[in-house]
Amino acid sequence: MLCLGIESTAHTFSCAVIEKKGKNGKILSDIRKIYRPPEGEGIHPREASRHHAENSPQVLSDCLEKADVKITDLDMVSYAAGPGLGPCLRIGAVVARSLASYYGIPVYPVNHALGHIELGKMLTGAKDPLVLLVSGGHTMILAFLGKKWRVFGETLDITLGQLLDQIGRHAGFASPCGPKIEELASKSSNYEPLPYVVKGNDVSFSGLFSATKQIMPKGLETACFSLQETAFSMIGEAVERALSFTGKKEFLVVGGVAANKRLSEILQSICKRHNCKFFVSPKEYAGDCGSQISWVGLLESSKKTGTKLENTFVRQSWRIDSVEIPY
Amino acid sequence: MEILVILLKLVKKGAEADIYLTSWNGRKSILKIRKRKEYRNQILDNRIRTLRTVREAKMISEVKSFGISTPLVYFIDQKKFEIYLQFIEGRLVRDLSNKMIIKTCEKIGKIVGTLHKNGVMHGDLTTSNFILSRNKLVILDFGLAQRTERIEDHAIDLRLFKEVLNSAHVEIVTKAWLSFLRGYGKIMGNQKKEQILSQVLVIEKRGRYASVV
Repeated sequence: MLCLGIESTAHTFSCAVIEKKGKNGKILSDIRKIYRPPEGEGIHPREASRHHAENSPQVLSDCLEKADVKITDLDMVSYAAGPGLGPCLRIGAVVARSLASYYGIPVYPVNHALGHIELGKMLTGAKDPLVLLVSGGHTMILAFLGKKWRVFGETLDITLGQLLDQIGRHAGFASPCGPKIEELASKSSNYEPLPYVVKGNDVSFSGLFSATKQIMPKGLETACFSLQETAFSMIGEAVERALSFTGKKEFLVVGGVAANKRLSEILQSICKRHNCKFFVSPKEYAGDCGSQISWVGLLESSKKTGTKLENTFVRQSWRIDSVEIPY
Repeated sequence: MEILVILLKLVKKGAEADIYLTSWNGRKSILKIRKRKEYRNQILDNRIRTLRTVREAKMISEVKSFGISTPLVYFIDQKKFEIYLQFIEGRLVRDLSNKMIIKTCEKIGKIVGTLHKNGVMHGDLTTSNFILSRNKLVILDFGLAQRTERIEDHAIDLRLFKEVLNSAHVEIVTKAWLSFLRGYGKIMGNQKKEQILSQVLVIEKRGRYASVV
Protein backbone atom coordinates (compact mmCIF):
# COMPACT_ATOMS: atom_id res chain seq x y z
CA MET A 1 0.00 0.00 0.00
CA LEU A 2 1.22 3.47 -0.91
CA CYS A 3 -0.16 6.43 0.97
CA LEU A 4 0.41 10.15 0.54
CA GLY A 5 0.09 12.01 3.86
CA ILE A 6 -0.48 15.75 4.04
CA GLU A 7 0.32 17.74 7.18
CA SER A 8 -0.70 21.40 7.58
CA THR A 9 -1.86 21.92 11.16
CA ALA A 10 0.42 24.82 12.10
CA HIS A 11 3.68 26.20 10.69
CA THR A 12 4.67 23.15 8.65
CA PHE A 13 3.33 22.14 5.27
CA SER A 14 4.56 18.67 4.50
CA CYS A 15 3.87 15.79 2.13
CA ALA A 16 5.18 12.27 2.61
CA VAL A 17 4.81 8.90 0.93
CA ILE A 18 4.99 5.73 2.99
CA GLU A 19 4.87 2.20 1.68
CA LYS A 20 3.26 -0.35 4.00
CA LYS A 21 3.98 -4.05 3.64
CA GLY A 22 2.28 -6.22 6.24
CA LYS A 23 2.91 -4.44 9.52
CA ASN A 24 6.00 -2.58 8.37
CA GLY A 25 6.19 0.89 6.98
CA LYS A 26 8.93 2.46 4.92
CA ILE A 27 9.15 6.22 4.46
CA LEU A 28 9.88 6.83 0.77
CA SER A 29 9.91 10.61 1.03
CA ASP A 30 9.05 13.38 3.46
CA ILE A 31 9.26 16.95 2.18
CA ARG A 32 8.57 20.01 4.35
CA LYS A 33 8.27 23.75 4.00
CA ILE A 34 8.08 25.69 7.24
CA TYR A 35 6.47 29.10 7.65
CA ARG A 36 8.78 31.42 9.59
CA PRO A 37 7.18 34.39 11.28
CA PRO A 38 9.27 37.56 11.78
CA GLU A 39 11.48 37.63 14.91
CA GLY A 40 9.56 38.21 18.12
CA GLU A 41 6.25 37.20 16.55
CA GLY A 42 4.17 34.04 16.55
CA ILE A 43 2.33 32.21 13.80
CA HIS A 44 -0.23 34.36 12.04
CA PRO A 45 -2.84 31.83 10.90
CA ARG A 46 -3.68 33.71 7.71
CA GLU A 47 -0.05 34.25 6.75
CA ALA A 48 0.77 30.62 7.54
CA SER A 49 -2.10 29.36 5.42
CA ARG A 50 -1.02 31.63 2.57
CA HIS A 51 2.47 30.16 2.88
CA HIS A 52 1.01 26.65 2.75
CA ALA A 53 -1.16 27.41 -0.28
CA GLU A 54 1.73 28.93 -2.19
CA ASN A 55 4.12 26.09 -1.38
CA SER A 56 1.80 23.12 -1.65
CA PRO A 57 2.30 22.35 -5.39
CA GLN A 58 6.09 22.40 -5.05
CA VAL A 59 6.15 20.29 -1.88
CA LEU A 60 3.77 17.77 -3.43
CA SER A 61 5.73 17.36 -6.64
CA ASP A 62 9.08 17.20 -4.79
CA CYS A 63 7.62 14.55 -2.51
CA LEU A 64 6.40 12.36 -5.37
CA GLU A 65 9.65 12.80 -7.28
CA LYS A 66 11.78 11.87 -4.27
CA ALA A 67 9.65 8.80 -3.62
CA ASP A 68 9.80 7.98 -7.31
CA VAL A 69 6.06 7.40 -7.60
CA LYS A 70 3.32 8.89 -9.73
CA ILE A 71 0.03 10.15 -8.34
CA THR A 72 -1.70 7.29 -10.10
CA ASP A 73 0.46 4.80 -8.17
CA LEU A 74 -0.99 6.02 -4.86
CA ASP A 75 -3.52 3.74 -3.14
CA MET A 76 -4.79 6.42 -0.82
CA VAL A 77 -4.29 9.91 0.54
CA SER A 78 -4.61 11.08 4.15
CA TYR A 79 -4.58 14.57 5.64
CA ALA A 80 -4.36 16.10 9.10
CA ALA A 81 -7.95 17.07 9.95
CA GLY A 82 -7.14 18.51 13.37
CA PRO A 83 -6.39 19.71 15.92
CA GLY A 84 -4.74 22.82 14.55
CA LEU A 85 -5.22 26.25 13.04
CA GLY A 86 -8.37 26.38 10.92
CA PRO A 87 -7.00 28.27 7.90
CA CYS A 88 -3.95 25.99 7.79
CA LEU A 89 -5.93 22.77 8.16
CA ARG A 90 -8.15 23.77 5.25
CA ILE A 91 -5.20 24.00 2.85
CA GLY A 92 -4.15 20.41 3.52
CA ALA A 93 -7.74 19.25 3.28
CA VAL A 94 -8.27 21.01 -0.04
CA VAL A 95 -5.14 19.42 -1.52
CA ALA A 96 -6.25 15.99 -0.31
CA ARG A 97 -9.80 16.38 -1.60
CA SER A 98 -8.60 17.62 -4.99
CA LEU A 99 -6.32 14.63 -5.48
CA ALA A 100 -8.96 12.22 -4.20
CA SER A 101 -11.73 13.48 -6.44
CA TYR A 102 -9.65 14.00 -9.60
CA TYR A 103 -7.81 10.69 -9.41
CA GLY A 104 -10.48 8.70 -7.60
CA ILE A 105 -8.27 7.73 -4.65
CA PRO A 106 -9.74 6.98 -1.18
CA VAL A 107 -9.18 9.78 1.33
CA TYR A 108 -8.69 9.55 5.14
CA PRO A 109 -8.92 12.46 7.60
CA VAL A 110 -6.61 11.69 10.54
CA ASN A 111 -5.84 13.11 13.96
CA HIS A 112 -2.54 14.95 14.09
CA ALA A 113 -1.66 14.00 17.68
CA LEU A 114 -2.32 10.35 16.94
CA GLY A 115 0.15 10.73 14.08
CA HIS A 116 2.94 11.77 16.44
CA ILE A 117 2.34 8.71 18.60
CA GLU A 118 1.87 6.09 15.88
CA LEU A 119 4.86 7.27 13.84
CA GLY A 120 6.95 7.32 17.02
CA LYS A 121 5.91 3.72 17.75
CA MET A 122 6.64 2.61 14.20
CA LEU A 123 10.10 4.20 14.09
CA THR A 124 11.25 3.13 17.57
CA GLY A 125 9.56 -0.26 17.80
CA ALA A 126 7.83 0.55 21.10
CA LYS A 127 4.88 -1.85 21.64
CA ASP A 128 2.79 -0.62 24.57
CA PRO A 129 4.37 2.55 25.88
CA LEU A 130 3.34 5.32 28.17
CA VAL A 131 3.59 8.30 25.82
CA LEU A 132 4.62 11.87 26.50
CA LEU A 133 3.52 14.17 23.69
CA VAL A 134 5.23 17.54 23.96
CA SER A 135 4.87 20.13 21.22
CA GLY A 136 3.50 23.57 20.53
CA GLY A 137 -0.03 22.22 20.58
CA HIS A 138 0.18 19.43 23.14
CA THR A 139 1.54 18.52 26.53
CA MET A 140 -0.05 15.21 27.37
CA ILE A 141 0.76 11.91 29.02
CA LEU A 142 -1.15 9.05 27.41
CA ALA A 143 -1.54 5.29 27.49
CA PHE A 144 -3.58 2.99 25.29
CA LEU A 145 -6.50 1.28 26.98
CA GLY A 146 -9.81 -0.08 25.70
CA LYS A 147 -9.57 1.10 22.06
CA LYS A 148 -8.57 4.65 22.89
CA TRP A 149 -5.55 6.67 23.96
CA ARG A 150 -6.38 7.79 27.48
CA VAL A 151 -5.01 10.93 29.03
CA PHE A 152 -3.24 10.27 32.33
CA GLY A 153 -2.03 13.81 32.73
CA GLU A 154 -1.85 17.02 30.75
CA THR A 155 -1.30 20.74 30.99
CA LEU A 156 -4.13 22.69 32.52
CA ASP A 157 -3.31 25.78 30.50
CA ILE A 158 -0.49 26.44 28.00
CA THR A 159 1.72 23.75 26.49
CA LEU A 160 5.44 23.25 27.00
CA GLY A 161 6.10 24.36 23.42
CA GLN A 162 4.02 27.49 23.91
CA LEU A 163 5.82 28.27 27.15
CA LEU A 164 9.23 28.11 25.46
CA ASP A 165 8.02 29.97 22.37
CA GLN A 166 6.34 32.76 24.29
CA ILE A 167 9.35 33.31 26.54
CA GLY A 168 11.55 33.26 23.46
CA ARG A 169 9.37 35.74 21.64
CA HIS A 170 9.34 37.96 24.70
CA ALA A 171 13.15 38.00 24.42
CA GLY A 172 12.87 38.78 20.72
CA PHE A 173 13.85 35.41 19.20
CA ALA A 174 12.35 33.89 16.07
CA SER A 175 9.80 31.05 16.52
CA PRO A 176 10.18 28.21 17.16
CA CYS A 177 12.36 29.30 20.10
CA GLY A 178 13.10 25.94 21.79
CA PRO A 179 16.60 25.43 20.32
CA LYS A 180 17.69 28.99 21.17
CA ILE A 181 16.47 28.63 24.77
CA GLU A 182 18.22 25.28 25.07
CA GLU A 183 21.46 26.83 23.83
CA LEU A 184 21.27 29.75 26.28
CA ALA A 185 20.31 27.47 29.17
CA SER A 186 23.35 25.28 28.59
CA LYS A 187 25.56 28.28 29.36
CA SER A 188 24.27 28.75 32.88
CA SER A 189 23.97 26.75 36.07
CA ASN A 190 22.58 29.54 38.17
CA TYR A 191 19.14 28.55 39.42
CA GLU A 192 16.63 31.26 40.30
CA PRO A 193 13.56 29.95 42.16
CA LEU A 194 10.47 29.75 39.97
CA PRO A 195 6.96 28.42 40.68
CA TYR A 196 6.71 24.66 40.39
CA VAL A 197 3.11 23.61 39.85
CA VAL A 198 2.19 19.93 39.71
CA LYS A 199 -1.43 19.15 40.45
CA GLY A 200 -1.72 15.40 40.71
CA ASN A 201 -0.73 14.15 37.26
CA ASP A 202 -1.33 17.51 35.67
CA VAL A 203 0.90 20.53 35.28
CA SER A 204 0.25 24.22 34.91
CA PHE A 205 2.71 26.53 33.18
CA SER A 206 0.98 29.92 33.18
CA GLY A 207 2.44 31.04 36.53
CA LEU A 208 5.89 29.86 35.49
CA PHE A 209 5.56 31.90 32.31
CA SER A 210 4.83 35.15 34.16
CA ALA A 211 7.53 34.52 36.77
CA THR A 212 10.17 33.77 34.12
CA LYS A 213 9.47 37.07 32.42
CA GLN A 214 10.12 38.79 35.74
CA ILE A 215 13.54 37.22 36.25
CA MET A 216 14.72 37.99 32.71
CA PRO A 217 16.51 41.19 33.83
CA LYS A 218 18.81 38.94 35.89
CA GLY A 219 20.22 37.58 32.65
CA LEU A 220 18.75 35.62 29.78
CA GLU A 221 20.95 32.59 30.36
CA THR A 222 19.94 32.33 34.00
CA ALA A 223 16.28 32.78 33.06
CA CYS A 224 16.42 30.11 30.33
CA PHE A 225 18.27 27.69 32.60
CA SER A 226 15.85 28.18 35.50
CA LEU A 227 12.89 27.94 33.14
CA GLN A 228 14.05 24.66 31.60
CA GLU A 229 14.97 23.10 34.93
CA THR A 230 11.63 23.97 36.49
CA ALA A 231 9.39 23.14 33.55
CA PHE A 232 11.14 19.88 32.68
CA SER A 233 11.20 18.74 36.32
CA MET A 234 7.45 19.32 36.46
CA ILE A 235 6.96 17.22 33.35
CA GLY A 236 9.36 14.66 34.81
CA GLU A 237 7.36 14.35 37.99
CA ALA A 238 4.07 14.02 36.13
CA VAL A 239 5.63 11.28 33.98
CA GLU A 240 6.93 9.50 37.08
CA ARG A 241 3.50 9.60 38.64
CA ALA A 242 1.92 8.17 35.51
CA LEU A 243 4.61 5.47 35.19
CA SER A 244 4.18 4.43 38.77
CA PHE A 245 0.39 4.44 38.46
CA THR A 246 0.15 2.54 35.16
CA GLY A 247 3.16 0.27 35.70
CA LYS A 248 4.07 0.52 32.00
CA LYS A 249 7.45 -0.90 31.07
CA GLU A 250 8.00 1.25 27.99
CA PHE A 251 8.10 5.00 27.65
CA LEU A 252 8.03 7.01 24.43
CA VAL A 253 8.47 10.74 24.00
CA VAL A 254 7.25 12.41 20.79
CA GLY A 255 6.56 15.92 19.48
CA GLY A 256 8.73 18.91 18.66
CA VAL A 257 10.06 19.45 22.20
CA ALA A 258 11.26 15.80 22.27
CA ALA A 259 14.30 17.12 20.42
CA ASN A 260 15.46 18.97 23.56
CA LYS A 261 18.49 17.16 25.01
CA ARG A 262 18.01 18.26 28.61
CA LEU A 263 14.42 17.04 28.63
CA SER A 264 15.48 13.76 27.14
CA GLU A 265 18.23 13.37 29.76
CA ILE A 266 15.71 13.91 32.56
CA LEU A 267 13.27 11.42 31.09
CA GLN A 268 15.99 8.83 30.58
CA SER A 269 17.01 9.09 34.20
CA ILE A 270 13.39 8.59 35.24
CA CYS A 271 13.02 5.50 33.07
CA LYS A 272 16.15 4.03 34.56
CA ARG A 273 14.75 4.49 38.05
CA HIS A 274 11.51 2.75 37.09
CA ASN A 275 13.13 -0.04 35.05
CA CYS A 276 11.43 1.16 31.98
CA LYS A 277 12.64 1.10 28.37
CA PHE A 278 13.16 4.58 26.98
CA PHE A 279 12.25 5.48 23.40
CA VAL A 280 12.44 8.84 21.69
CA SER A 281 11.31 9.79 18.20
CA PRO A 282 14.27 10.36 15.89
CA LYS A 283 14.90 14.11 15.79
CA GLU A 284 14.01 14.31 12.11
CA TYR A 285 10.53 12.92 12.72
CA ALA A 286 9.84 14.33 16.21
CA GLY A 287 8.30 17.53 14.87
CA ASP A 288 5.34 17.93 12.51
CA CYS A 289 5.70 15.98 9.26
CA GLY A 290 3.70 14.31 6.52
CA SER A 291 4.91 10.86 7.57
CA GLN A 292 2.89 10.89 10.78
CA ILE A 293 -0.27 11.58 8.78
CA SER A 294 0.52 9.06 6.08
CA TRP A 295 1.21 6.29 8.62
CA VAL A 296 -2.05 6.75 10.54
CA GLY A 297 -3.90 6.75 7.22
CA LEU A 298 -2.31 3.42 6.36
CA LEU A 299 -3.15 1.94 9.77
CA GLU A 300 -6.76 3.06 9.46
CA SER A 301 -7.07 1.71 5.93
CA SER A 302 -6.48 -1.80 7.26
CA LYS A 303 -9.86 -1.60 9.03
CA LYS A 304 -11.82 1.20 7.42
CA THR A 305 -12.75 2.34 3.93
CA GLY A 306 -12.03 5.91 2.91
CA THR A 307 -14.25 8.83 3.90
CA LYS A 308 -16.81 10.16 1.42
CA LEU A 309 -15.72 13.49 -0.03
CA GLU A 310 -18.67 15.37 1.45
CA ASN A 311 -17.69 14.06 4.90
CA THR A 312 -14.04 15.08 4.78
CA PHE A 313 -13.98 17.50 7.68
CA VAL A 314 -11.47 19.69 9.44
CA ARG A 315 -11.81 20.24 13.18
CA GLN A 316 -9.68 22.79 15.02
CA SER A 317 -10.44 21.26 18.41
CA TRP A 318 -10.20 17.51 18.10
CA ARG A 319 -8.94 15.80 21.21
CA ILE A 320 -7.04 12.59 20.70
CA ASP A 321 -8.89 10.87 23.53
CA SER A 322 -12.09 11.10 21.50
CA VAL A 323 -10.67 9.06 18.60
CA GLU A 324 -11.60 5.39 18.51
CA ILE A 325 -8.76 3.17 17.31
CA PRO A 326 -10.01 0.17 15.34
CA TYR A 327 -6.61 -1.38 14.49
CA MET B 1 18.75 1.80 64.51
CA GLU B 2 20.84 -1.21 63.47
CA ILE B 3 17.91 -3.59 63.69
CA LEU B 4 15.76 -1.14 61.87
CA VAL B 5 18.02 -1.03 58.86
CA ILE B 6 18.04 -4.80 58.56
CA LEU B 7 14.29 -4.90 58.55
CA LEU B 8 13.97 -2.40 55.71
CA LYS B 9 12.11 -3.85 52.80
CA LEU B 10 11.32 -1.85 49.67
CA VAL B 11 7.58 -2.05 49.04
CA LYS B 12 7.16 0.43 46.28
CA LYS B 13 9.14 2.87 44.25
CA GLY B 14 6.62 5.62 44.01
CA ALA B 15 6.81 8.65 41.80
CA GLU B 16 7.76 10.91 44.62
CA ALA B 17 9.14 8.71 47.33
CA ASP B 18 10.34 5.21 48.05
CA ILE B 19 8.14 3.25 50.42
CA TYR B 20 9.70 0.74 52.81
CA LEU B 21 8.20 -1.72 55.21
CA THR B 22 9.96 -1.51 58.55
CA SER B 23 9.21 -1.19 62.22
CA TRP B 24 9.05 1.69 64.65
CA ASN B 25 9.43 0.93 68.34
CA GLY B 26 8.23 -2.57 67.75
CA ARG B 27 5.30 -1.56 65.60
CA LYS B 28 4.97 -2.44 61.94
CA SER B 29 5.64 0.78 60.10
CA ILE B 30 5.90 2.32 56.66
CA LEU B 31 8.94 4.45 56.00
CA LYS B 32 8.50 7.02 53.28
CA ILE B 33 11.71 8.56 51.98
CA ARG B 34 11.70 11.37 49.49
CA LYS B 35 15.00 10.57 47.85
CA ARG B 36 17.05 13.08 46.00
CA LYS B 37 16.17 13.13 42.34
CA GLU B 38 19.36 13.21 40.31
CA TYR B 39 17.71 14.88 37.38
CA ARG B 40 16.30 17.75 39.39
CA ASN B 41 18.28 20.89 40.09
CA GLN B 42 19.45 20.59 43.68
CA ILE B 43 18.03 23.86 44.97
CA LEU B 44 14.66 23.06 43.45
CA ASP B 45 14.88 19.45 44.63
CA ASN B 46 15.57 20.37 48.25
CA ARG B 47 12.82 22.95 48.23
CA ILE B 48 10.25 20.47 46.95
CA ARG B 49 11.29 17.63 49.25
CA THR B 50 11.36 19.74 52.40
CA LEU B 51 8.05 21.38 51.64
CA ARG B 52 6.28 18.11 50.93
CA THR B 53 7.72 16.18 53.83
CA VAL B 54 6.70 18.82 56.32
CA ARG B 55 3.36 19.38 54.69
CA GLU B 56 2.53 15.70 54.59
CA ALA B 57 3.32 15.17 58.26
CA LYS B 58 1.29 18.19 59.28
CA MET B 59 -1.73 17.54 57.12
CA ILE B 60 -1.98 13.83 57.78
CA SER B 61 -2.31 14.60 61.50
CA GLU B 62 -4.50 17.63 61.11
CA VAL B 63 -7.20 15.96 59.05
CA LYS B 64 -7.70 13.35 61.77
CA SER B 65 -9.54 16.03 63.72
CA PHE B 66 -12.18 16.08 60.94
CA GLY B 67 -12.88 12.42 61.66
CA ILE B 68 -10.97 11.10 58.66
CA SER B 69 -8.88 7.94 58.90
CA THR B 70 -5.24 8.42 58.00
CA PRO B 71 -2.12 6.56 59.10
CA LEU B 72 -0.54 7.74 62.35
CA VAL B 73 2.71 9.65 61.99
CA TYR B 74 5.31 8.01 64.24
CA PHE B 75 8.30 10.12 63.43
CA ILE B 76 9.62 12.65 60.92
CA ASP B 77 13.21 13.45 60.04
CA GLN B 78 13.14 16.66 58.10
CA LYS B 79 16.84 16.63 57.21
CA LYS B 80 16.64 13.18 55.72
CA PHE B 81 13.20 13.77 54.22
CA GLU B 82 11.86 10.71 56.02
CA ILE B 83 8.49 9.98 57.59
CA TYR B 84 7.59 6.90 59.62
CA LEU B 85 3.92 6.07 59.29
CA GLN B 86 1.59 3.49 60.74
CA PHE B 87 1.30 0.39 58.55
CA ILE B 88 -2.25 -0.09 57.26
CA GLU B 89 -3.36 -3.58 56.36
CA GLY B 90 -5.73 -3.74 53.42
CA ARG B 91 -6.07 -3.34 49.67
CA LEU B 92 -5.66 -0.33 47.43
CA VAL B 93 -8.98 0.79 46.00
CA ARG B 94 -7.39 0.68 42.55
CA ASP B 95 -7.01 -3.09 42.85
CA LEU B 96 -10.55 -3.88 44.04
CA SER B 97 -13.20 -5.40 41.80
CA ASN B 98 -15.15 -2.98 39.62
CA LYS B 99 -18.25 -3.49 41.74
CA MET B 100 -16.36 -2.70 44.92
CA ILE B 101 -14.70 0.35 43.38
CA ILE B 102 -18.08 1.80 42.45
CA LYS B 103 -19.35 1.19 45.97
CA THR B 104 -16.22 2.60 47.59
CA CYS B 105 -16.34 5.74 45.46
CA GLU B 106 -19.26 6.98 47.54
CA LYS B 107 -17.10 6.73 50.65
CA ILE B 108 -14.26 8.44 48.83
CA GLY B 109 -16.70 11.21 47.95
CA LYS B 110 -17.61 11.60 51.61
CA ILE B 111 -13.99 11.80 52.68
CA VAL B 112 -13.16 14.35 50.00
CA GLY B 113 -16.26 16.32 50.94
CA THR B 114 -15.16 16.37 54.56
CA LEU B 115 -11.69 17.58 53.60
CA HIS B 116 -13.08 20.37 51.44
CA LYS B 117 -15.66 21.39 53.99
CA ASN B 118 -12.79 21.88 56.43
CA GLY B 119 -10.76 23.86 53.93
CA VAL B 120 -8.22 21.24 52.84
CA MET B 121 -7.47 20.07 49.31
CA HIS B 122 -5.71 16.73 48.88
CA GLY B 123 -3.95 17.48 45.62
CA ASP B 124 -3.41 13.88 44.52
CA LEU B 125 -6.74 12.08 44.54
CA THR B 126 -6.16 8.77 42.83
CA THR B 127 -7.59 5.33 43.51
CA SER B 128 -4.17 4.19 44.68
CA ASN B 129 -4.19 6.69 47.52
CA PHE B 130 -7.04 4.98 49.33
CA ILE B 131 -6.76 1.72 51.26
CA LEU B 132 -9.80 -0.32 52.16
CA SER B 133 -8.96 -1.78 55.55
CA ARG B 134 -11.57 -3.93 57.32
CA ASN B 135 -14.48 -1.91 55.91
CA LYS B 136 -12.76 1.28 56.94
CA LEU B 137 -11.45 3.55 54.21
CA VAL B 138 -8.06 5.14 54.88
CA ILE B 139 -6.69 8.03 52.84
CA LEU B 140 -2.96 8.40 52.16
CA ASP B 141 -0.38 10.67 50.69
CA PHE B 142 -0.81 14.29 51.73
CA GLY B 143 2.41 15.53 50.10
CA LEU B 144 0.48 17.77 47.71
CA ALA B 145 -2.22 18.75 50.19
CA GLN B 146 -2.82 22.33 51.20
CA ARG B 147 -5.13 24.56 53.20
CA THR B 148 -7.43 26.35 50.82
CA GLU B 149 -11.02 27.52 50.68
CA ARG B 150 -10.90 28.39 46.98
CA ILE B 151 -13.54 26.75 44.84
CA GLU B 152 -10.99 26.46 42.04
CA ASP B 153 -8.71 24.32 44.24
CA HIS B 154 -11.51 22.04 45.34
CA ALA B 155 -12.57 21.70 41.72
CA ILE B 156 -9.01 20.69 40.79
CA ASP B 157 -9.28 17.80 43.26
CA LEU B 158 -12.50 16.64 41.64
CA ARG B 159 -11.17 17.02 38.13
CA LEU B 160 -8.12 14.93 38.92
CA PHE B 161 -10.23 12.15 40.37
CA LYS B 162 -12.46 12.26 37.30
CA GLU B 163 -9.39 12.06 35.07
CA VAL B 164 -8.13 9.02 36.97
CA LEU B 165 -11.49 7.25 36.60
CA ASN B 166 -11.53 8.19 32.93
CA SER B 167 -8.10 6.74 32.25
CA ALA B 168 -7.61 3.87 34.68
CA HIS B 169 -11.18 2.69 35.26
CA VAL B 170 -12.75 3.20 31.86
CA GLU B 171 -15.44 0.51 32.09
CA ILE B 172 -17.00 1.95 35.22
CA VAL B 173 -16.21 5.64 34.91
CA THR B 174 -19.83 6.87 34.78
CA LYS B 175 -21.10 4.77 37.66
CA ALA B 176 -18.04 5.40 39.81
CA TRP B 177 -18.19 9.15 39.20
CA LEU B 178 -21.89 9.31 40.10
CA SER B 179 -21.23 7.29 43.21
CA PHE B 180 -18.41 9.66 44.16
CA LEU B 181 -20.67 12.68 43.64
CA ARG B 182 -23.42 11.13 45.74
CA GLY B 183 -21.05 10.84 48.68
CA TYR B 184 -19.53 14.23 48.04
CA GLY B 185 -22.95 15.90 47.89
CA LYS B 186 -24.04 14.30 51.15
CA ILE B 187 -21.28 16.18 52.96
CA MET B 188 -21.05 19.39 50.95
CA GLY B 189 -24.73 19.89 50.22
CA ASN B 190 -26.16 19.98 46.72
CA GLN B 191 -25.77 23.67 46.11
CA LYS B 192 -22.08 23.73 46.95
CA LYS B 193 -21.55 20.52 44.98
CA GLU B 194 -23.10 22.03 41.86
CA GLN B 195 -21.04 25.16 42.28
CA ILE B 196 -17.81 23.16 42.40
CA LEU B 197 -18.90 20.91 39.54
CA SER B 198 -19.49 23.91 37.32
CA GLN B 199 -15.97 25.08 38.16
CA VAL B 200 -14.71 21.64 37.08
CA LEU B 201 -16.33 22.34 33.74
CA VAL B 202 -14.58 25.70 33.57
CA ILE B 203 -11.22 23.99 34.17
CA GLU B 204 -11.97 21.39 31.51
CA LYS B 205 -12.83 24.12 29.04
CA ARG B 206 -9.43 25.66 29.67
CA GLY B 207 -7.87 22.39 28.50
CA ARG B 208 -6.34 22.03 25.08
CA TYR B 209 -8.79 21.38 22.27
CA ALA B 210 -11.61 20.82 24.71
CA SER B 211 -14.76 19.95 22.83
CA VAL B 212 -16.97 21.75 25.35
CA VAL B 213 -16.09 25.13 23.82
